[in-house]
Amino acid sequence: MDPGKFLLFATGGLADAAYLFIVAAGLSLVFGALRVINMAHGSLYMIAAMVSVVVANRLGAGIGFLPALLGAVLVAAAIGAVIETTVLKRVYGHEHLVQLLATYAIALIIGGAARLIFGSNYRTTSTPIQGSLTILGYSYSLYALVMIAAAILIGLGMYGLLFRTRLGRNIRAAVSDPELLNASGVNVTLLYTAVFTVGAGLAGLGGAIVAPSQAVDPTIGDSVLVLAFAISVIGGLGSIIGSAVGALMVGEVISFGLINPTTNSFALAFVFIIMTLVLTVRPWGLFGRPEA
Amino acid sequence: MKNAGARWRSWVTNRRVDRARWALAIVLLLAAAVLPPVSLYLEGQGMIESARFEIVLGVTSLILALWAVSYNLMLGYAGMVSFAHAAYYGVGAYTVAILLQRYQISYFAALAAAPLVAATVGIITGFVALRAVRLYFSLLTLAISQLLYSVAEGWYSVTGGDNGINGIVTPDQLTDYPTLYYFVAAIVGVSLLLMFVLTRSPFGAALLAIRENRERARSVGINVKGYELAVYTIAALFAGVAGALFPLVQPSVVPGMLFWTENATPVVVTLLGGVGSFLGPGFGAFVFTGLNNSLSRDFPYQLDVLLGAIVLGVVLLVPGGFASVPGLVAQLRRRVVGEETPSIEAETKGEAIRMIDVARAVEAHAIQSEHIERGKVLLKLEGLSRSFGGLRAVDSVNLEIHEGDRHAIIGPNGAGKSTLFNLITGRMRPSTGRVWFDGRDITGRPAHVVAKAGIGRAFQITMIFPRLTVRQNLQYAMLAHRGRTVQPWGLADRIYRDEAIELLDAVGLGPHADLPAGQLSHGDQRAIELAISLALGSRMILLDEPTAGMSASETRHAMELVRRVATDRNLTLLFCEHDMSVVFGTARTVTVMHQGRILMQGTPEQIRSNPEVQAVYLGELDMDDEEAAPA
Repeated sequence: MDPGKFLLFATGGLADAAYLFIVAAGLSLVFGALRVINMAHGSLYMIAAMVSVVVANRLGAGIGFLPALLGAVLVAAAIGAVIETTVLKRVYGHEHLVQLLATYAIALIIGGAARLIFGSNYRTTSTPIQGSLTILGYSYSLYALVMIAAAILIGLGMYGLLFRTRLGRNIRAAVSDPELLNASGVNVTLLYTAVFTVGAGLAGLGGAIVAPSQAVDPTIGDSVLVLAFAISVIGGLGSIIGSAVGALMVGEVISFGLINPTTNSFALAFVFIIMTLVLTVRPWGLFGRPEA
Repeated sequence: MKNAGARWRSWVTNRRVDRARWALAIVLLLAAAVLPPVSLYLEGQGMIESARFEIVLGVTSLILALWAVSYNLMLGYAGMVSFAHAAYYGVGAYTVAILLQRYQISYFAALAAAPLVAATVGIITGFVALRAVRLYFSLLTLAISQLLYSVAEGWYSVTGGDNGINGIVTPDQLTDYPTLYYFVAAIVGVSLLLMFVLTRSPFGAALLAIRENRERARSVGINVKGYELAVYTIAALFAGVAGALFPLVQPSVVPGMLFWTENATPVVVTLLGGVGSFLGPGFGAFVFTGLNNSLSRDFPYQLDVLLGAIVLGVVLLVPGGFASVPGLVAQLRRRVVGEETPSIEAETKGEAIRMIDVARAVEAHAIQSEHIERGKVLLKLEGLSRSFGGLRAVDSVNLEIHEGDRHAIIGPNGAGKSTLFNLITGRMRPSTGRVWFDGRDITGRPAHVVAKAGIGRAFQITMIFPRLTVRQNLQYAMLAHRGRTVQPWGLADRIYRDEAIELLDAVGLGPHADLPAGQLSHGDQRAIELAISLALGSRMILLDEPTAGMSASETRHAMELVRRVATDRNLTLLFCEHDMSVVFGTARTVTVMHQGRILMQGTPEQIRSNPEVQAVYLGELDMDDEEAAPA
């Protein structure tokens, strides 16, 4: 393969990895701290993408992007806060079965509501940053490069949040030693709401960032949710670094899978083969820790 | 102790609910049986537009009922949440479509082949999925579902890729709508009957035991993974049947049928009807199809919201699903009417029986303890060691335990007692050394094998099946232990019933036989444990801190019970315990452990009077003892 083409596919994989990382990191964070698998995570992603497209188109492409992004993230975070306080509070400590079914029900409700509000047709908006760059004979969309940069910044931001703030310290305590946290006088109820809201906000951020680069409709969350699962499972549920590595693997596998006709029909299959292999050999993922 | 009145009422309610359920089931089956003639009649009267349409709805409901009931085999009976069930349904549909379209095989032959293909895919993928447990199992099924979906979508030459396979023709014999309906009804009926028999059989008992308590199920001799794989495969098989019937109402099969979100249908239908009952999901299928049909034309998206709300409501409010409504109604009525029950007599009677037994037991013990005979060596540990990282938790332990002995292991916390027990019962593998039981090498054998060999555990509060009745706890344990749970027919509840009741009487639990085990007091739950060990024919019983968390009088009763049962049935006891009064009041031999090694062994008197033990351990243990005593 010539280096230009290689770079093109590698960058394509990075762009996919970028938004998938943001979504998966939210899922992973919630699981790490709350021990709940949020089946509605993809729905929050989808809602944010829909909201951002509608708002951006209303305000005009370009100028509308940032307000749309902000609005979409806030909507997703607010829905997250409502879900946490009305539903999740009741199922903490229950069997996984109950939590899976409860969040799955929320996914059904959000999906139906989105179709009611937005209809089931796909919508598009133009990217806020137009133009492209030509490297080694192939052209690159500038927006894809911005997405990659944004994901790196968000990753660093999350690292800062987790390791440089009080909230972050408490979240890490919730992940590693919930009992100590209880004993230390932190308001755990509030902390859980905060963590879930941040997780939902990340799902929304992923959706809002990716929205200008693809067509969005109320089903986009379904496939992203499974990819986010694949990523966080490969990297290790609860680990942010794991999410980054998992997202890179998944993004690149899909991208290079599309490279020739024999593999392109099965690009996604490779992702799930990797996920299956990791789960069977090392269920807690590459960077996760085994559950006690 | 919990309110005995509540137990009695729950028993009465259960019988009423059972009757209400049977009545509902019969009404449903009759309604299903007369659907085509009734629709035709109503059409003749001009009361409905098209009988055909109604009949096709009926066929759809039947197929869905089969699909959902097969889903509930996993969800309701074995407690497994799978996101791959739609994939096996899809595999069934694809098999029929491919055989029909590409190989011109008759529909009926294809219908026979489809479940086998689905089951084959099910057993292979299930084997992979079951490498993980619970949550990770669910995530693996999600991956498998998407993998199968990707294959269906990507394998153009066979599956037609994302267009799927279209224009599937219904066989000539089934073009008449009532015939089609009865044909499908017959297939679904036979499938449901087979599954019903399965759930009531000893095999079904093993599944319930796994759902209730995996660890306990393993220790009564159930090969948990094996049964989970079996039920997963059986569920896939029947999903394959349902999928194979699908082309009769929809002439095209598309990859989207395998996408993970398609599992919403069986999940919603199952929860709608109730995971707790066999036919509940079947009932849910008719409700679902009705709702779907009446709402989806005018309010397609409201329907999704409604279904989500129903699932959420069921999960949060009515864990039993709608089929448990008769039970809820009965509960409400009781709350309003406030029925009186003869509960208090039952309670005191039970207490009285136990008191008498205990008094008799103490006498027997006094007589029997006069002449202690040391039998042959039953359990032998040779150089047994186990390290965690650098720490040697158990360090070259050599120990012989004689038949009929009551052997206590004492030592401060961290002495390695629990690790030693885990090495014996097969929950951990030793790093080096051997474990012999009755001349047989059981080193590193899995827990269910060790249990079968005759080593039981008792007196750990978590080790019962809480939602099964006390009697079922024993019966199912016996079924598992005697290898009967492989049998997929027969009524599990009728097998070993008398034997279970006799054992329950022996430990004084006779009056509680039909109560859910989880409702009993701590002391009684431990007695169930002991009875389970007896039911398993254990020759040796391991007790890990049997009296932890018990009051002084509970402790006295429990240990008297243990001593009596051990004497009556010539059991060998091996126990570790902090409470020195329990140790010296029960043991015939005492072994002292310290830092993973055996420090000393002897009769209680020898241990008590040994200055070294006294200085190093008993002082410390006595202090522990005093701290623990008020509990």
